[in-house]
Amino acid sequence: MSADLTARRFGVPQVTIARFAGRRLNLALVGLLIVVTLVALFARVLAPDNPVQPIGALNLPLGSEGHLLGTDGIGRDILSRTLIGIQTSWFSALVVVASGLVIGGIIGVAAGVSGGWLDNLLMRLTDLFLALPGTLVAIALVAALGFGLQNTLIGIAIVWWPYYARIIRGEARAMAARPHVEAARLAGISRTRVVFRHILPGVVPTAIVTASLDIGNVVILLAGLSFLGLGQAAPAPELGADTARNLQQLLTQWWVPVVPGLAVLLLSLVANLGGDAIRNLLAGRR
Amino acid sequence: MTRFLLRRTGSAVVLVLVLTAVVFVLQAVSPGDPVKAYLGNNASPAAIAAQRQALGLNDPLPVQYFHYIVHALQGNLGMSLRTRRPVMADLHDFLPATVELVAVAFVLALLLGSLYAVSGSLRWPGGAFFRGPLLVLATAPPFLLALGGIILFYAQLQVLPAAGRGVDSTGPSGFVLIDSILGGDATEFVAGVQHLVLPAVILSIAPSISIGRILRSSLDSTLASDYVRTARSKGLRPIVVLGKHVVRNSLGPGLSMAGLQLGFMFAGVVVVEQVFSWPGIGNYLAASIPTSDFPAIAGVTLVLGIIYIVANALVDVLQALADPRLNA
Amino acid sequence: MSATDEKAPAASIANLTVALTRDGVRAEVLRGVDLKIQRGEIVGLVGESGSGKSVLALALMGLLPSSSRPETTGTITIAGTDMIDGSAEQIRAVRRHELGVIFQDPMTSLNPTMRVGRQITEATGDKAESLRLMSAVGIQDAALRFTVYPHELSGGLRQRIMAAIASAGRPSLIIADEPTTALDVTVQAQVLDLLRQLRDEFGCSVVLITHDLAVAAQIADRIAVLYAGRIAELGPADVVLREPTHPYTVGLLNSRLALDTPRDTVLQTLRPETATVAERMRGCAYSSRCPLADDTCRAQQPPLLAVDGSGAVDGSEHVRACWRDAATVRELALTRSDAPRILVSGSSTESAAPAVVVEGVHQRFVVRSGGRKREVHALRGIDLTIGAGEAVSIVGESGSGKSTLLRAIAGLVPVTSGRVDVARGGAQMVFQDAGSSLTPWLSVGEILGERLLPLRLGKTETAARVTTALEAIGLPASVSRVRPADLSGGQRQRVALARATMIPPAVLLCDEPTSALDASLAASVLNLIRGMREELSMTVLFVTHDLSVARLMGDRVVVMTEGRIVEDGTADQVIHHPEHPYTRSLLASVPEIEAVR
Repeated sequence: MSADLTARRFGVPQVTIARFAGRRLNLALVGLLIVVTLVALFARVLAPDNPVQPIGALNLPLGSEGHLLGTDGIGRDILSRTLIGIQTSWFSALVVVASGLVIGGIIGVAAGVSGGWLDNLLMRLTDLFLALPGTLVAIALVAALGFGLQNTLIGIAIVWWPYYARIIRGEARAMAARPHVEAARLAGISRTRVVFRHILPGVVPTAIVTASLDIGNVVILLAGLSFLGLGQAAPAPELGADTARNLQQLLTQWWVPVVPGLAVLLLSLVANLGGDAIRNLLAGRR
Repeated sequence: MTRFLLRRTGSAVVLVLVLTAVVFVLQAVSPGDPVKAYLGNNASPAAIAAQRQALGLNDPLPVQYFHYIVHALQGNLGMSLRTRRPVMADLHDFLPATVELVAVAFVLALLLGSLYAVSGSLRWPGGAFFRGPLLVLATAPPFLLALGGIILFYAQLQVLPAAGRGVDSTGPSGFVLIDSILGGDATEFVAGVQHLVLPAVILSIAPSISIGRILRSSLDSTLASDYVRTARSKGLRPIVVLGKHVVRNSLGPGLSMAGLQLGFMFAGVVVVEQVFSWPGIGNYLAASIPTSDFPAIAGVTLVLGIIYIVANALVDVLQALADPRLNA
Repeated sequence: MSATDEKAPAASIANLTVALTRDGVRAEVLRGVDLKIQRGEIVGLVGESGSGKSVLALALMGLLPSSSRPETTGTITIAGTDMIDGSAEQIRAVRRHELGVIFQDPMTSLNPTMRVGRQITEATGDKAESLRLMSAVGIQDAALRFTVYPHELSGGLRQRIMAAIASAGRPSLIIADEPTTALDVTVQAQVLDLLRQLRDEFGCSVVLITHDLAVAAQIADRIAVLYAGRIAELGPADVVLREPTHPYTVGLLNSRLALDTPRDTVLQTLRPETATVAERMRGCAYSSRCPLADDTCRAQQPPLLAVDGSGAVDGSEHVRACWRDAATVRELALTRSDAPRILVSGSSTESAAPAVVVEGVHQRFVVRSGGRKREVHALRGIDLTIGAGEAVSIVGESGSGKSTLLRAIAGLVPVTSGRVDVARGGAQMVFQDAGSSLTPWLSVGEILGERLLPLRLGKTETAARVTTALEAIGLPASVSRVRPADLSGGQRQRVALARATMIPPAVLLCDEPTSALDASLAASVLNLIRGMREELSMTVLFVTHDLSVARLMGDRVVVMTEGRIVEDGTADQVIHHPEHPYTRSLLASVPEIEAVR
């Protein structure tokens, strides 16, 4: 009897090797996410120069000695500015995603688990937010709140959670409707325990995947808003703003505006690949 | 079907009302003083008080909101703090350029997205060489793509212009492509197209991937469905199976996503217009942001938001028309 | 069509092997199948899930899904066309002119957004012909039904639409892949009649693929029994059913539940599979489950040979793939009545207080479909009393309200009006789909342990109780560390049963717990429930759509239709002397194998 517990119906060994290779690749991509987070964390240590202080000759090209990514129009080290920009960008994106996950998660789970009028009310609210053009409302919000990174993050967070609430509510609802939840209820298990042990663990993978796939979107959005001037004030290094401020140098010293943009691309690529990898890893586990 | 239409129209109206409420509340709490838009910074306190009274700013908020709606319906969205002109007049000048750009980009996004989905689902040989680069481009911020496009096609290859719409003033419709055709002006049309290509392509890339991915997964599941197997078992030609059974049943999710993406495009257009000095509403918004010109920002949000809400309502109606199970 | 020889078989399959890749695992699904389908005959292709029968159907049509990267050797010839190596255009022409197909689920097999008339006309090419076919397959008001969408039709009508599509263009062969599995018994009988009628009228051959020997027995001229991708036995239907010569066929026949299966003995089951894939591929694939297997069986694959020893395989004779001689196998078929006895007809119902009282219960739901709200009156005044220790079966077709009643008794849904009382100890339930009734991320031990929480036992005592519960259902203690996904379907249902009974409830509710299982596994789960009932003298309420199961599981059988109880009596009364016309029509639709004893 226990033999067919372990032996799957058609187990062919070579496939596990193929899966293993896929798993290794996925783990490597998740590793990239961690590397970027570490770089962001230690940006100030890694930055060779003060990012706001003019430090060398103006507009040094890429690969200059002491200034790997050159210097900008007033002689600041672009590598240092970009590193700090990465820090701001990455952690801002994580904050927005985390806030979406927390707010949307609480609302989604509450709605999905309770059903009935509370579900109706919360989802009407969510749909209302979803039906409005989020980014535009965020811009209007920031304009009303006053400019600055903090307000930008608050503005985005306000329009960002409904997406999470929708997805998480759907998953919670699906979990709550599964016979295993009814079985647990019949088995006399308390309502709280049913929610925390028989519903929530089933929602977590979806929430994680949704969030990790969303980091890239938020990085791009934040960079765009920063490009429009909805970020930190002038001397502070920020990827989108650094591109916008140096736009006029595009045809003479292209790297000055382009390098910060490439950093955004890098962050978004890593976030997307990492998100995909997390999804694959979780899907493989089920 | 009529019930559905009525309900969907009703919900769109409610959404527009909510949007106006949001914009109104934000306007009320925003730091800018609308009176100064009319009188300038050096007005006397008496004049300011009189103007406040005239604008109804001393009324209770619900009354103000009511007036706001009435004014908006009459085409009065207040005065821009920056241009000192009615916001409506500004929008009237700048909106057509944006609509033209977004419309072209949207069509491009649908085309690229369909190509992405179909080449993937039907396993077209070489399709990966199209999808791979598109995927990478879609992860880039639009302003970087715009810079890259300008460096490559304007500075290096010198085949495309880098700024503006190619014409000084537009004709009656406000759309370069339409006006030039109406006026029979071939050079203007070509110039219009040349100026549109870069910004429109760049604006379309990210949405095309979102649409393409959804469409592809829905194509894949339709292709694997039992009824497509039935259609094949009838001995229908593959193109007939595709045209009559697969495509129609796969479009729904793609359509919904296209509606959502339209909203993102109206947001993304702000950045693209700024890089390409496109004389549109996005550039207007970008210029309004640093000057805290809230009436202008509110006006843009309202107009683009309404376009977005209407477009999504249209998508829903289209979907209901396509699926007999929905309009029972 | 005229070019083909009138004597040539409608389809011939020679030494067909098919390997598919699913979920990254490549497996040989068919392993050397030889089969000729003669003109005008109905061949019943019988096998359990995983036997490869549906893959054979798809291979016949040249429709193996490319996503599973099929690798095929051998030949399939239909109307002179090679269905494996032929050009896509040739194969398409065969599908158009020579083949018709009916799939299992008519709801998903019809395009939801296309009017059914157009779907038929796609195959016929002509509206008048479509209307004629619709009438021919027994659709009344064909002109009216021509313009409806599939979701507006009942299951039976949908399957008739499929049949009309299948018979378009007068095919020489109709392939019906489990055409009745998704349908109610009464509709099942109609669809089988229809298939026979299509053969009689159009002269086409039919391949009827089914997991149920009795379904094949209804209309098949010949029966082929498929096991693990090979034909185990093939011959004229009555011969295969009356004188089976393969141990697997014997096992299938013996473990089949029929209206005359003895109620007082343990149900016969096939042995569970214990061999690894590699072991099964070496010798006879059935050897690990076969009571007659010897060393030869385990070492070498038996060839398919005529039962009378005349050699070559062709035409209508009786062939089988087994090393043991036919006489030995037939003896196996006679051991049926030796099974150990089991207690039936439990304690008296009058003395004790009733376990369940249902009085005047109505249940209404609001169902949303496509934006419209529709009220469903699922239960229309149910009165039912179940005595302590009694075993009651509720039998009914889909939509009869039987599951709703069960859920109302369990307290999972509040009733709209009326009263439901369950005695102290409450109700426990075993669900239809055991897999989804077990929390996927918890281990079996955790799932069972939770049931003991109210008792506030210590860790060791809980573990001990879990082990005892697992032993009671015939699973080793090691299972407690495993997650449900790593168990087989039958094992999951056992775990669900253990959870329900480890603290004996006032009543055990069973919602079609075996309908998703293969016949033999189902029998073993039924045995277990019956055994537990005897041991714990438990009250059992068993819901099923299958009259034979209802008779075996209940001392009393209750028949439900359209939210009402129409008949209620002892099992023998209801089965042998039905009073209500609905019960009679149900009984008349049950496929039985009359040929067997």
